[in-house]
Amino acid sequence: MSLSEKAGRRDFIKYLATGVGGLIVGAVIGYGAKPSEVREVVREATVTKEVAKEVTVTKEVPAISKLPKPTVKIGVLGIRSGLWATYGEYIEQGARLAAEEINAAGGILGSNIELSFRDEQADVVKQGRELVEGEKADFLVGVDSSGNALKLGEIMSELNKIFIATHAATHRLTEELVFSKNIKQIFRISVPVYQDGILAAYVAKDLPIRKWAGVNPDYEYGRVSWDFFMKTLKSYRPDAEFVSEQWAKFGTTDFSPFISTVLATDAEGLFTTEWAIELKTLQTQAVEMGLYRKIKAIINPMGYSMDIAYMLGASYPTAEYGTWVSGRYIWPYPPTTVNKEFVERFRRRWGRYPAYSAETTYSAIYLIKYALEKVGTFDIDKLIKAMEGVVIMTPAGPRWIRPEDHQAIYEVPYGRIVHKGAEIPLLENLKVLPAWIYYRHPPFTA
Amino acid sequence: MLESVLFQILIGVYRSSYYWLIASGLTLIFGVTRVVNFAHAAFFVLGGYLAFTFFNLTGNFWFSLAAATLTTGLIGIVVERLLLKPLYRVEVLYQLLMTFAISLIINDMSKIVWGLTAQSIPIPSWFKVQIPIFNRFFPAYYVFVIGSSFLTFILLYILINRTMWGLRIRATWRDLGMAECLKINTQRIYALTFLLGTALAGLGGALMIPVSPVGPGLGDHLIITAFIVVVIAGLGNLLGTYISAYIVGIAESVFILFVPEVDILLIYAIMALILMVRPWGLFGEK
Repeated sequence: MSLSEKAGRRDFIKYLATGVGGLIVGAVIGYGAKPSEVREVVREATVTKEVAKEVTVTKEVPAISKLPKPTVKIGVLGIRSGLWATYGEYIEQGARLAAEEINAAGGILGSNIELSFRDEQADVVKQGRELVEGEKADFLVGVDSSGNALKLGEIMSELNKIFIATHAATHRLTEELVFSKNIKQIFRISVPVYQDGILAAYVAKDLPIRKWAGVNPDYEYGRVSWDFFMKTLKSYRPDAEFVSEQWAKFGTTDFSPFISTVLATDAEGLFTTEWAIELKTLQTQAVEMGLYRKIKAIINPMGYSMDIAYMLGASYPTAEYGTWVSGRYIWPYPPTTVNKEFVERFRRRWGRYPAYSAETTYSAIYLIKYALEKVGTFDIDKLIKAMEGVVIMTPAGPRWIRPEDHQAIYEVPYGRIVHKGAEIPLLENLKVLPAWIYYRHPPFTA
Repeated sequence: MLESVLFQILIGVYRSSYYWLIASGLTLIFGVTRVVNFAHAAFFVLGGYLAFTFFNLTGNFWFSLAAATLTTGLIGIVVERLLLKPLYRVEVLYQLLMTFAISLIINDMSKIVWGLTAQSIPIPSWFKVQIPIFNRFFPAYYVFVIGSSFLTFILLYILINRTMWGLRIRATWRDLGMAECLKINTQRIYALTFLLGTALAGLGGALMIPVSPVGPGLGDHLIITAFIVVVIAGLGNLLGTYISAYIVGIAESVFILFVPEVDILLIYAIMALILMVRPWGLFGEK
């Protein structure tokens, strides 16, 4: 045996011994660090007594009479330019009404609300930063576009302020950013695409038609809604067929080729998530091209948005089995005093029926008021805790802020368009389902 | 199936009518003044808005159409004389920036003047008929648009090729220096070209508004297609632009029927291909 061989064997044994020694040490530590077994402790008489004791001890809540500073600054983001600029205006209307009411009644614990409005289309991340870092906004509310909400959402843990989305509908905002990525600063008070895709399918399944065509805007919202619609409908109506699937880009002025493509198939129903001006164009051209002679039903999730109701007015087309529409709030529902009085105040202030994003933004500001009054501080973690799990009464009904994904749970009906000579078309045959049935639930894996 | 394709082609012909109305003015303006008018689609939208205003004032569709066309042309001249004339002798880049600025100004001014919601006017009652063809219904109004577009092509062709003014325009187009030597008032030609070009765009918008509501910023989406048409056609050829508008409109329409996922991509791909093979366009001069 040579010297090097001997040395090699010695080294080998050395390493082996170290390894085994390490394993033994590790095993000992691991065993020691093991969590103690859970043992059920059964304490009978003692438990009840202790519980009773806990119940009678009232937690000391210091009387909160003032906030640390005299103003509450809320940054409001909405689309203020381009084709959908009306929607930013609706968000502003809701925010202003809420702020005016609250300030007139003494503010939030004496502090006045100050609003700062920005155009989310002018780089939403930049606007969000300027509002929080530059203008020292305490909260952010609004955002119409799903794409913008996702972009802004990503930086909210860095900005560390609460952002309440009041329109943007992609489920990914709450399911991914809040639930999976734990960006707890994000809340959403408006119903997401569950309304557009899932509940729409519940309406579709009861209609006596089988073949559906889709004409949808080619972005996150359109794609996701159509996807949910197809999957949900197929699960209830295995005989359902999707005979045409079309994607229109932003700013489409002419839906004629899409309409004629639908006419080329044997579609009986049309599902479309087009909204705002493009919806008006689609409806106008659909009538002109005789689509309504062939299609027996139309499902248009955002079809009862107030801009459309006023723009189409008495010429809002109706199909044989109905033009089924909804929104993220519809002013006739629920028939509570809270809602009726809100609609009245809104009409007095702005001269029109409230758009859904006006109500959602209005309610978001009241949610902020509730949270601040509860904790009396701008401490983010305390505010988040206060909002999680709260049930708050709003014009759209009671909203429960689900703690896992910070999504407000409340239901909005679909209805058939009917003309009764009123200021705008009305809805009949309201189809309401409890939100539990059509919302998705954590862990959102299905 | 054949009927579907034929009907789809017919729809494409209808859309091409608008593309021609925008592209014709664009290529005319560029050809004569060498200005790439980014604001051109904004004039298209302005024509629509003006038709809306005139219709609200008079209730007469024909008058609104004519008045909107003329007014857009006049606004075009004013813009050209005030904002573009000082820039003719400097670098092309500044003219580009100026036309871009003009489009932004027009967009935002229309928000102030006409508000944020989409505006439209009703289709005149005689056109509210649907013509059965290829087993479907083709709106009579669409036929009117196709016809009007064709008429403007004929009139423009006659103007450019058979009149004295047309001769002067063509001379300025060919060689500015030489035209000036021949005592052609090129400044007047520039102004006239802008009048014509923007009026054509305005006519397009006014024709569109009964069936496609106009909203602020609508032009931003149309200008791209207009540029594609002009690039494919190549500059300096009115007939070429007319044909190119039809190629793009019909192709777009048929793609939607057969390959809806990639219809937009295909149009750009066609443009890229043509640019690679014939960079001066299908009908342009080398």
